[in-house]
Amino acid sequence: MPVLLEIESLGFSYENAYSPVFSELNLSVEQGEFVVVKGASGTGKSTLLRLVCRLQAYEEGRILFKQRRIESYKPAELRRSIIYVAQIPSMIDTNVKENLLFPFSFAVNGSKVEPRDARLTEMLEQFYLQDISLLHQARNLSVGQQQRIALMRALLLDPEILLLDEPTSALDAKSASMVFSIVEHLNVKQGKTIIMVTHSSRKPSTISPVEYLLEDSKLRKL
Amino acid sequence: MNQIVEISLWQLFLGLFFILIAQIASFVHHLGLNRDITVGTVRTFAQLFLMGYALTFIFQLENLWLTLGIFVIMAVSASFIVRGRVKEKQVSYMLPTFVTMFISYFVTALFVTSLVIGIAPWWEPRYFLPIGGMVIGNSMSALAIALERLFREMRQQKGLIETRLCLGANYKEASSEMFKNAVTAGMIPSINAMMGVGLVFIPGMMSGQILAGADPLQAIRYQIIIMLMLVGSTAMTSIISILIVRKRCFGRGEELLLSISDK
Repeated sequence: MPVLLEIESLGFSYENAYSPVFSELNLSVEQGEFVVVKGASGTGKSTLLRLVCRLQAYEEGRILFKQRRIESYKPAELRRSIIYVAQIPSMIDTNVKENLLFPFSFAVNGSKVEPRDARLTEMLEQFYLQDISLLHQARNLSVGQQQRIALMRALLLDPEILLLDEPTSALDAKSASMVFSIVEHLNVKQGKTIIMVTHSSRKPSTISPVEYLLEDSKLRKL
Repeated sequence: MNQIVEISLWQLFLGLFFILIAQIASFVHHLGLNRDITVGTVRTFAQLFLMGYALTFIFQLENLWLTLGIFVIMAVSASFIVRGRVKEKQVSYMLPTFVTMFISYFVTALFVTSLVIGIAPWWEPRYFLPIGGMVIGNSMSALAIALERLFREMRQQKGLIETRLCLGANYKEASSEMFKNAVTAGMIPSINAMMGVGLVFIPGMMSGQILAGADPLQAIRYQIIIMLMLVGSTAMTSIISILIVRKRCFGRGEELLLSISDK
């Protein structure tokens, strides 16, 4: 499979920090791969994902997406192709349908066709949200349900890479299991390239991801 | 009735009676304001006397460059006052704010003196400086409110802004409400002033003209121009400044540079 994302000699430090978060960090991700990055809290797992989608700027090295530096893409175009789903989902103060569809109002997504209600309802069922209607207030949902809505919202834009930041850390066991099942399905059935960071030791049950440990500013393959 | 009643120095000092009341109240109720009231009183006398002599000198001299120089000093002082009110360290906003303030104040004051009032020369200090002062004073407060609101909302809504960015929004789309709310917050006081003028309060400039013996019907015309001018200059300054400063809140990758906790 072709390499989709490459991180070469990445260096990054926070202002006034004693040691760098990343130093000479390398990673190569092939299309359709499921990569899990593990590491203790505070080692920079979330920062790594944020640097890949340019939510933060790095200082050294380079990050390539489809053999081009990420800086050569317009930020909005890059972020439509590499979607980062944050640990704490953020919902706008309206119903589920509008939360799912608001990205279609952005200029960069102008060529995409908004899915119909029937398609959205079908997706809700696939995401174990069959009890939720499209007119439900999104902020009244549990964190687990919001997390799945956030995943759905990202998938509607058909990204090439999904960056998942601790998608199950704030969830109870049942919700976490549902999210894992969805993510595995996305990788196996839809061929989505997924990079997930987690500090949990839990593993997907049906696939064998490529696992890395983030330690001492570098990634080590497990 | 058109003759101004002069206030002698003795009469001026009679005004200190009001300060005496404030001092006694502060003393009796242990408000701890006696020192501030004293300093404030001395400064009021000193600063206004100084300004009176300076204005007399400037009006007599009628020099274009001196008038413009004073206008620049007023605009620079205003931008420092705005900086004092908006405690923001992560995004540099001083230069664009100053440039916007200076240009919009100048354009507004120029428009009013040359076209609306129609005085010649347009920089006649007796008109240009007081009008410029009013524009600067009002827009400065509006800008400080707008900037403070922008930075506060961008921090509070960082999660939402980043979610939008992650779903393909550009920085303008990601922060559209924060922009709108900031500009609105800055403009509301001058719009409210238009609603209440003549009903709830008599504006200071109009009162001053009437006390100085001017015809009230002339005084209101000036006041109407001033009110319209203030809304225009406030809109111009707030919108342009907030547009520029909002852009500065994002980096080259359109990443939000403001962190939630650090100011």
